[in-house]
Amino acid sequence: MSSPDRSSAKRTTAGAKLAKTSSAKTASVKVAPKARAAPSVANEPSPQEKADFVKAMSKGIQPNTEAARKVDAKKRAAPAQSEPAETVKILRKIPAPGAVVNTAASEEALRVAAMIEKALADGDLNCLQPHAQQALIGALCKLYAANSEVGNRFPVVGGRTAVTATDVMVMCGALLKAVDLQVFELGMWQSWSSN
Amino acid sequence: MAEQFVGKASEFKDGERQIIQIGKREIGVFRHEGEFYAYSNICLHQGGPACEGLTIANVEERLRDDKTSMGLFFSEKDMNFVCPWHGYEYDMKTGEHISDRSQKLRKYEVLTKGDDVYVVA
Ligand code: FES
Repeated sequence: MSSPDRSSAKRTTAGAKLAKTSSAKTASVKVAPKARAAPSVANEPSPQEKADFVKAMSKGIQPNTEAARKVDAKKRAAPAQSEPAETVKILRKIPAPGAVVNTAASEEALRVAAMIEKALADGDLNCLQPHAQQALIGALCKLYAANSEVGNRFPVVGGRTAVTATDVMVMCGALLKAVDLQVFELGMWQSWSSN
Repeated sequence: MAEQFVGKASEFKDGERQIIQIGKREIGVFRHEGEFYAYSNICLHQGGPACEGLTIANVEERLRDDKTSMGLFFSEKDMNFVCPWHGYEYDMKTGEHISDRSQKLRKYEVLTKGDDVYVVA
C-alpha cells in the first residue's frame, strides 16, 4: 500500500547507499557491515506509525484536509453552459495489455536478434565482435534499468526463449564483475530497495 | 454538456484506453469488447488516477448445486479496472466499486457516429 513516490525514494536511498559502498571500497576504507546497515534501521517507521498509515489509507478522504480540498476543486471544475467550448486534450494512450507496439528501432533490434540466433545455430560465435557485443549489452542494460525505474517492468526475456539457467548465471556474473559488485551487495540492494 | 470529439473508433483498439482532458476534468475512455466506456479519472478513495491501473477479470466463487465451493475463478464476462494507488476496483461496465456498489465513478456517455467517437461532458 505504498505510493510510487515512496518506493522510488526508497530505491534512490538504497542506490545512494550502494554508491557509498563502492566508493568506500575504491578508497580502501573498511566499513563494518553493521555500521552501514544502521541508517536503514533508523529510518524504519515505528509499528505505531505503520498502523496509523494503514488506518489513514483505509479511511479515505477526510473532510477539511488538503486532499479533500483538491478533489473538491477538481469536481467543481465543470464550467457553466455559457463558457466557450472546451478543448479535448489526449493526455495518455494506454495500450491493451499484451499489445505489441512496434517502432522502427524495435524492428531493427528484432532483426539483429534473429541474426544472432541464426549465427549461434550455425556455430558462428564471431558474428558479433566483442566491442559490438559490449555496446549492445551496455545499451540494453541501461534501457532496461531506466524503464524499470519509471515502473515499466516486464520479464527481461520473453516467454518463448531458449535462454538457459547457465546462460543467465554466466551473464549475471559477468555483469556484476564489470561494475565490481559482489553477489552479497546485490542481495543487500535488493532487500533495501524491494527490487 | 457538449459532445466532445475524442478520436476515431478505427484507431482505438479493443482493450486500449485513453486518458483525456476536457477543460479541467480528466476522463478515462476505455474500449472493451467493442464498447466504449468513459469515467472520471479521480478515484473515490483518495483521488488517485482511477482509470490508469491494471484491467483484470472479476474474481468470482463458483458453487455446486449444494452450495459447496468449487473455488475462485476469473470471470469470463466481467472485467474490472484497478486504481494503481491502493487498489480500489471498479466495474468496467458501470464504474461501480465492486465491493460497495453504492459508490461509483462519475460516468460519461460515449457516442459513436460513423467512425467518430464523442464523449458527452
Ligand atoms: S486513491 Fe485510488 S485506491 Fe486509493
